Amino acid sequence: MSVASNRILIFRLGEIGFLLDLAEVVEVVDQGVDALDPGRSDIGRGIVSALLFRQTWIPVVDPALKLDIFSTMKLKEKTVVVLRGTEGNWALLVDRVSKLSAAEKFQPCEIPFLLKIVALGFYSQIQLLDNEPIIVFEPERYYGSVPLLV
Amino acid sequence: MSRFGLFRIGGFRFAVALEQIKKILQNSKTYKLPHLPGAVTAVLVDAGQLIPLFDLGQMFGAESQGTPGYQVLVESEYGPVALAADMTGKIVTEQKGELSVTVEQGTDFGITGKFVYQSEEYNLLDIDFLAIETTQGFWRNQLDAGGVRRHK
Repeated sequence: MSVASNRILIFRLGEIGFLLDLAEVVEVVDQGVDALDPGRSDIGRGIVSALLFRQTWIPVVDPALKLDIFSTMKLKEKTVVVLRGTEGNWALLVDRVSKLSAAEKFQPCEIPFLLKIVALGFYSQIQLLDNEPIIVFEPERYYGSVPLLV
Repeated sequence: MSRFGLFRIGGFRFAVALEQIKKILQNSKTYKLPHLPGAVTAVLVDAGQLIPLFDLGQMFGAESQGTPGYQVLVESEYGPVALAADMTGKIVTEQKGELSVTVEQGTDFGITGKFVYQSEEYNLLDIDFLAIETTQGFWRNQLDAGGVRRHK
């Protein structure tokens, strides 16, 4: 994903920051726990729950599982970020949404050669914000490559 | 005249040729990233560049205290790397110690020799070897085969 739009959403999994083009975001749901149904999970496909969003059940993906990021937060404490996808809306579980930021504040930063082999399976771009590395979140790595029924 | 930077992390003492040392940072902020190779504990940012931080104490079984300290930025053939160190570094000339470069190959992973200074033995690092081997998956195989000797 290129950081093309003006506004960037930053979310965190554990202490690690990720950025997402705001153009991909439909809504951020802070208190989404009541609308979550873990019974509709499909762990093999990374789907940990379903969210009742605008009268439709949409899949909820926890990227921390794929990224092997440990979080002490319980499901009910997490924030849900609803994204638009080619097959309809879907949602990300994140520990917290930090802030919105202007795209101009980010500086491109090359992934060191020594880390490239392990990183490339999970992310391909990092940007710096106030000297902090923020991973460019690539939604297609987490959902959307196969049809899904929930 | 050769000079060495002498450092320690936990119980592990190491020496780096001064010409390989780019700079020494103190208490630099470090960041976790997903799926870092086992030898890399975090990254730090220096001049807009991401630098992998290696914890040699962990690598060689000499656990560090986890207290803040130095980050020694070293140039390797594969780009700069940072080595975590306690705040006890010094720079000495080769003549002030005794250098041996006769380490048996295969028994001391990433160590090319020893530098003895004031009766303390420092492991002379092969930075290029350590950087590539410990980030590309060979290091664990060496560990499993007993290829790493622990130095205290």
